Amino acid sequence: MELKASWLGEFFKHSVLIAGAIVVLLPFYLMLSYSLKSPSEIETNTGGFTGAQQIMTDSRCVKAGNAEEDCLMRPIVYNYTAAFKEAPLVRYMLNGVFVTVSIFIIQVIVALPCAYALSKLKFWGRDVVFGLVIFCLLIPVHAIALPLYIMLAKVGLTNSYAALIIPWTISVFGIFLMRQFFMTVPDDLIDAARMDGMSEFSIVWQVMLPTAIPALLAFGIFSVVAHWNDYYWPRVVITGNKDLMTPPLGLRMFKSDMDGNEYGPMMAATTVIVLPLVIIFLMAQRRFIEGITMTGMK
Amino acid sequence: MQNSKVHYWFIAPALLLMFILLILPVIVAATLSMTDYSLGNSSFNWVGTDNYEKLFSRRSYAKMFSASLTYVLIVVPISVALGLGSALLISSLRIGNELYKAIFFLPVMATLLAMAIVWEFALNPIMGVVNDILRSGCDKRLIYGFFTGSWYGADPLQSWYGAACADRFPIWLGDKRYALGTIAFIGIWQGFGFNMVLYLAGLTSVPRELYQAAHMDGADSAWERFKLVTWPMLGPTHVFVITISSIRSFQVFDTVEALTEGGPSKSTYVMVYAMFEKGVRQNLLGIGSAITIVFLAFVLILTLIQVYFVNRRVHY
Repeated sequence: MELKASWLGEFFKHSVLIAGAIVVLLPFYLMLSYSLKSPSEIETNTGGFTGAQQIMTDSRCVKAGNAEEDCLMRPIVYNYTAAFKEAPLVRYMLNGVFVTVSIFIIQVIVALPCAYALSKLKFWGRDVVFGLVIFCLLIPVHAIALPLYIMLAKVGLTNSYAALIIPWTISVFGIFLMRQFFMTVPDDLIDAARMDGMSEFSIVWQVMLPTAIPALLAFGIFSVVAHWNDYYWPRVVITGNKDLMTPPLGLRMFKSDMDGNEYGPMMAATTVIVLPLVIIFLMAQRRFIEGITMTGMK
Repeated sequence: MQNSKVHYWFIAPALLLMFILLILPVIVAATLSMTDYSLGNSSFNWVGTDNYEKLFSRRSYAKMFSASLTYVLIVVPISVALGLGSALLISSLRIGNELYKAIFFLPVMATLLAMAIVWEFALNPIMGVVNDILRSGCDKRLIYGFFTGSWYGADPLQSWYGAACADRFPIWLGDKRYALGTIAFIGIWQGFGFNMVLYLAGLTSVPRELYQAAHMDGADSAWERFKLVTWPMLGPTHVFVITISSIRSFQVFDTVEALTEGGPSKSTYVMVYAMFEKGVRQNLLGIGSAITIVFLAFVLILTLIQVYFVNRRVHY
């Protein structure tokens, strides 16, 4: 009886969760599916997941003056080539990588020594500085986007990589996280390093940095995910210059430039932009979930 | 060793950046909120509290506050409940919990703007699959009967589903009655997995012995154990999850900017979007800054509420 009831319960739980999973996965399924199908299949919602993949004519290619037989292709090829031709997708992706990596590196360079000083050095005013860090944790960076934008405009820095990177160079959250982590590192380790005649600078980068790898990894995942996906800030400081656009902003431009039945190419572009993070996430799922929850406070 | 001045070099860059990039902007916003400044103008006038008076008296800003608050009030309870519910289900499973966890967390990772565009397409009234699926249920007697209530003798045309089947299904993002709800739905879809993970972490810290003790005390049903042990022991997690969700949903922007641009008839005109439209698009920095300050005040209040509860160490 007990056994039967528990199997029934298990079955019920799985049914509820599967129903939820279908809703959660629906847009991912649609995105992939539309990126494979021909315009007419998309319009009529036919063709299942992959579509029939019948040879179609690329009307834009014909208009450009090519012979009709040179413009025949499968919908999947059409969608993905159009995505890369219509929008400078590669450029967007490279911008995204450059901006997120720069932000993370500068955040670490600024935060790590500060966290070390706050946790392992004794000096006058240390508690005041730490209090200031806690206070700044309360300021959501999105909320102060407007004054930051005004300040950058005043020094003529809007529409530049600098504008995309500068506001994020300070991560009070990173300082806080690293400081908490360094508090758990035994003082003996640092004293031993000092005995060996290491300077404080080399202690930070050669002793503390290696011990902090797990915390840095969590923080790195948080930082990269947040800035790869960020749309608000690039939207504010980049106006029209496609060379500087990050993936979400570029996709938004694609959407507003789009005419008529370009859904296939647009979904192909969406797939290209969403997939890298999703694949990395699926490969290192546990680390990602840990990283994001550990740093969930922001 | 401690008499060296090396710590200056360690904290100076962080302090400098903190001041320029976090504290100064708040001061700038507070100052500009009392002016009529625009970029490109060489001077500005002090207007005192005019901008704030506008915020709290004009109809369009009343709509802004109501859109933001309604959004938060829809998204927070539902995404917290779904987060808790899925965490409870997943943690009690024998197999497959890692898989569900990964699936429900996927939207948290995926670029929201990109997924919003996919949702917009799915919700398209003509080509979209959402209305397609809803329509397909209209001629299936089982589904129709269940959702319209004609099974238990109600008039099907009185129900939402029956009326929609007879006429047509909503145009979601294009209808001012549904737009905010639809944006909120995307917000819930994106955010509840995050809450789920926080609750899963909270659940692992509930000591096993408490369940046994509750069992001894005669709490036999799962519901009683939940009420007696799980719910109160999750106290700190509740506070954390609710504040985080509130602050995050207050900041909604991507979906609004990409899908509705605040419309139709300002029904989705949320605060961060208003800040962007007034300040950046229309170059009305005074009013934009005033919205910034009010927004900061809201977030601060939410955080203080959290600190208050955390300090009381809510364990009931």
